[in-house]
Amino acid sequence: MRIQLTVNGLGYERDCAEHRTLLRFLREDLGLMGTKEGCGMGECGACTVIMNGRAVNSCMVLAVEADGATIRTIEGEADGPSLSDIQKAFERNHAVQCGFCTAGMVMSVKELLSEHPKPSADQVKEAIEGNFCRCTGYTQIVEAVLDLTGSPEKKGELEHV
Amino acid sequence: MKRNPDSALNVMGKTTYIDDLPESTEMLHAAIVCSPSAHGRYERLDTAAALAYAPGVRVLEASDVPGQNELSTSIPDEPMLSTGEWHFRGEVLALVLAPSRSVARRAAALVKLVGREDLPAVVDPREAYAQGKLIMAPRTQRLGDPEAAYADCDVVVTGRVESAGQEHVYLETQGAVAYPDDAGGVRVVSSTQSPSGVQSIVARILGLPMNKVEIETRRLGGAFGGKEDQASGWAALAALGAYRTGKPVKLYLNRRDDMTSTGKRHPYSSDFKIGLKKDGTILAFEADYYQNAGAATDLSPAIIPRTLFHAANAYHIPNVRATGTMCRTNLVPFTAFRGFGGPQGVFVIECAIEKAARALGVDPVKIQRKNLLSEGDVSHYGMRMDDVRATDTFSRCMDKAKWTELRAGIAAYNAANAATKRGAAAIPICFGISFTKIMLNQGGALVHVYSDGSVSVSTGAVEMGQGVGRKIAVVSSRTLGAPIDSVRVESTRTTTVANTVATAASSGADINAMAAQVACIEIKKRLVALAAKLRGAAPEAVDLRDGYVTVGGVADGELSFAAIVAKAFENRVDLSAHAFYATPGLHYDMKAEFGTPFYYHVYGCAVVTATLDVIRGSYRFDDAIIVHDIAESIDPLVDMGQVEGAFAQGLGWACLEELKFDDAGRLLADTLSTYKLPDAHFMPRMDVEFFTKPNPKVVANSKAVGEPPFIYGLAGYFAVLDALKAARPEGPSFHDLPMTPEKAMLFLTGDLGAAVKGL
Repeated sequence: MRIQLTVNGLGYERDCAEHRTLLRFLREDLGLMGTKEGCGMGECGACTVIMNGRAVNSCMVLAVEADGATIRTIEGEADGPSLSDIQKAFERNHAVQCGFCTAGMVMSVKELLSEHPKPSADQVKEAIEGNFCRCTGYTQIVEAVLDLTGSPEKKGELEHV
Repeated sequence: MKRNPDSALNVMGKTTYIDDLPESTEMLHAAIVCSPSAHGRYERLDTAAALAYAPGVRVLEASDVPGQNELSTSIPDEPMLSTGEWHFRGEVLALVLAPSRSVARRAAALVKLVGREDLPAVVDPREAYAQGKLIMAPRTQRLGDPEAAYADCDVVVTGRVESAGQEHVYLETQGAVAYPDDAGGVRVVSSTQSPSGVQSIVARILGLPMNKVEIETRRLGGAFGGKEDQASGWAALAALGAYRTGKPVKLYLNRRDDMTSTGKRHPYSSDFKIGLKKDGTILAFEADYYQNAGAATDLSPAIIPRTLFHAANAYHIPNVRATGTMCRTNLVPFTAFRGFGGPQGVFVIECAIEKAARALGVDPVKIQRKNLLSEGDVSHYGMRMDDVRATDTFSRCMDKAKWTELRAGIAAYNAANAATKRGAAAIPICFGISFTKIMLNQGGALVHVYSDGSVSVSTGAVEMGQGVGRKIAVVSSRTLGAPIDSVRVESTRTTTVANTVATAASSGADINAMAAQVACIEIKKRLVALAAKLRGAAPEAVDLRDGYVTVGGVADGELSFAAIVAKAFENRVDLSAHAFYATPGLHYDMKAEFGTPFYYHVYGCAVVTATLDVIRGSYRFDDAIIVHDIAESIDPLVDMGQVEGAFAQGLGWACLEELKFDDAGRLLADTLSTYKLPDAHFMPRMDVEFFTKPNPKVVANSKAVGEPPFIYGLAGYFAVLDALKAARPEGPSFHDLPMTPEKAMLFLTGDLGAAVKGL
C-alpha cells in the first residue's frame, strides 16, 4: 500500500507492506535509527514516537495506520547541533546511562510537557511509566524534567565534574 | 555547562548499537534454531524445508565449525552448536542464514529434528545435588569451629532460604555483526563486555590464530554481567557465518530469543544455622549454598567463591563455615549478573539475622549493629580488614533515617491501622573489590596525543552506560593537564589494546583509568621535559595544568597544551604511550581457602520503608535512605546514577522480578509482558548520601561503584516482611525471594506453605 506521512517536518511517500510496523518503517525505510526496539511488543517504550501529538509505541502501530499522520522522532528533537531544552536537561542531570531507552523517554516527556508545562513529580512518573530504563532507577530522569520546568520538587545539586 | 559527550549523542539518538550499523545489500541475516525442551537428543536435522523456503537460505550445523566447537572458558561442556544432545531449552542447534532477517527466522522455524527423544530433566539444584550432578567439587571456607561454638550460644536458629534468578533485561539484546576480511580472518562488532574474551572464542571456533580476529565494541545498550561470557556465542555464530559465506553476517536476537537462550542470575537454595548470645553477638554461622548453575559451567565456579566471601556480609563472626555447591541442572547456563553471587550470599545471612531477631525478640538492627566489622578484624577467608567503614556508614544511615523515631512511628501507625501496615529494614554492605580470579585483575591503555593537541585514549574498558568512558576521560584530562573537551575515549578494540579482561567486577574504572593514567604520566613527563628546556627552567618547577604549561606555578600563556604538543612534534618527541596496570597485593590459596582476594571493600547502608495493603497483599515503597562509601568520586553525577540504578535493580530482584520456570524447565516469563521490571512508580523516594573519605589505593582516591549498591535492594524484601509480620504476627518468617505481592497475599491468608519450599 502507498502511504504518505510527515516525519520531523519532511513529507514522505512510500510503498509499504500492510504488516510492516511503524518502527520498522522508520528505521529501515527512512533510515531513522534513533528510535530503538527493546521488546517488540509494546512493553518497554524504547520505540516511543509522537504521532499526531500523542506518544505511541511505534512497534505496536502499523505503518499503514500512520498514513496521513504527522510523526516526530528523536531525530527531529534537536535543531541541528543545538539540543532542545528536554535534551539539555537530560544531559545536565545525567538522565542517560546506556542511552537505549533515551529516545523513547524524551518523546514521552515531550508529550507530557505539551499538555502539562509544569508537571509534578508524580505526573512525570506517570508519563514515563511505559518507558523502562534498566540503568538509572528513574530518579535522574524525573529530576531532569523537574529541573527543566523549574519545579521546587527537584532536589539534586550534583553536576558533572 | 559541564558536559558528558556520550550523553549528548545519546539524547540526540545518534549513538549506534549493533542493530543500527549500516547494512550492505550483500549482508546476510542469521536466525537460530533452538532446542524444544530441557533435555533430549536427536539423530539429525532435516533442513530440506528450510533450504527450499527461499533462495539464498543456508543452514550451518556443528559439522560446519572449522575449529573447536566449544564456548566454555573452563570445563569444556558448552558446544556452540549442538552435536546431537541438548541440555537446556533454548540451546542452539543450528544457524540459519538468509538475505533478510524475517526470511531467516521463517526458514529457521522449518528446520526439523529427526529421531527426537526427550530425556529426563532436572530443574531443582537440590535434586541435582542428590543425583550427584555437580559442575565441580563443592568449596568450603572456614574460620574457627562453629559446631563447638553453638554450645556457648543462648539461641541457635536454622532455616532455609530461596532466591530466584534474575533476567538482565539489558535494553539492547545480544548480537554481533561479523565481516570477513581479505586475509581469511574476521572482524566482529560485538555487543560484549569482553572483546578479548570474544576474540579468543571466535579464534577457537574458526581455528584461526587470534591475530586474524579483530573484535570492536563501541558501546552497549546495557549489560550488567549478561554480556560477559554469554556474548561470545552470538559473536562466534556470526563469525562462523561470515567465514563460511564470505559475506557480512548479522545476528541480533529478539527479546524472546534473548530471554530464552541467554544466561541470567543464578537461583540459589540455601540452608543456614546461626548461634548468638542473648545480647545479640553472633558467635557462629554456617551456610550451605546450592547454586543452580544450569546446564553448563559458564562462570559458576567463579561466582560460588564470591558467594562464600560474602557469607558474613558486613559482620565479624568468629566461627564460620560456608559451603558452596555448583549443581548442574537442565536450565539455561546461569551467569554473571551485578554482584556475581555476592547478593545471594548476603541474603542468607540477613535472613538468618531476621529469624534470630525474632527468636530473641529484638529489632534485627540491634543484631546488625552489634556485629559490624571493625578495623583489623580478620574475615572468614583470612583477609585482614583495613580502612573499615562499616560502623561509620551504618551509624550515619541510622541517624539520617532517625531509626528510633521511625520504629516508634511505624509501631504507632500499625497499632492505629488494620487495613494497611508499615515496615522498615536496614541492610549494611561490605563488598569486596577485585575479580575473584586473580589473573583477571589487569588492564592496558594506549594514549595518543595528536599534533594539534587532541587526545585519544584507548583501554580495555567497555562503555555500557556505567560512565567508565567519562571517568577515563576525566582522569586522563587531569593527568595530562589537557582540557577535558580535547580528550576522546575510543571504542574498545582488540587490535588497539590486547589481552584485556571483561569490563566487570565493578573494576572497569579502577583498572582501566589507572592504566590510562600511567600512560598519561609517561607522555606528560616528556612534555614537561621539553617545556623545561624551552623555558630554561628546572623540570621540577614545570607542570601542565588546566590546558597550560606552568612554570613555578604560573601559567605560561604562550604554551597552551596544544602549543607544547606542537613543539613536541617539531622536536621529535614521542606523543604516544602504552601502559599496563595490575592490581597489587592480591593472593589467595584455593586449597586452604585463605588469603587476600580483594584490594579493598566498599561499605554502606540502606534503610527502606514500605506500606502494605493488608487486604490485597500489594505494597509500595515509601523511602530509601542510603549512605554509600563512594570515597572521592571522579564524577558524582555518574556515581549517583550507578548507586540509584543498582538499588533499583536490587529492589527488582528482591521484590518484583519473578524468573519462573515450570517443572519441565520452560521459562514462563520469557517476554517483557510476563517478566515485570521496576518502573518509575515502583521506586521509592531516594535520599542517597555519599561517604567521601578518600581511598588512596585507587586512581583519584575513588572507589568502584557498579555492584555494591545492588545489595541495598534486599532492604526492600525485609521492609515488606516487617510489615507482613505486623499484619500477621503469628505467621512464620519466610525467606523466598522475590517478595511478590502474590506471596505477600498468601502469607496474609496463611496459604503460603504450599507455595514456598522449606517453610
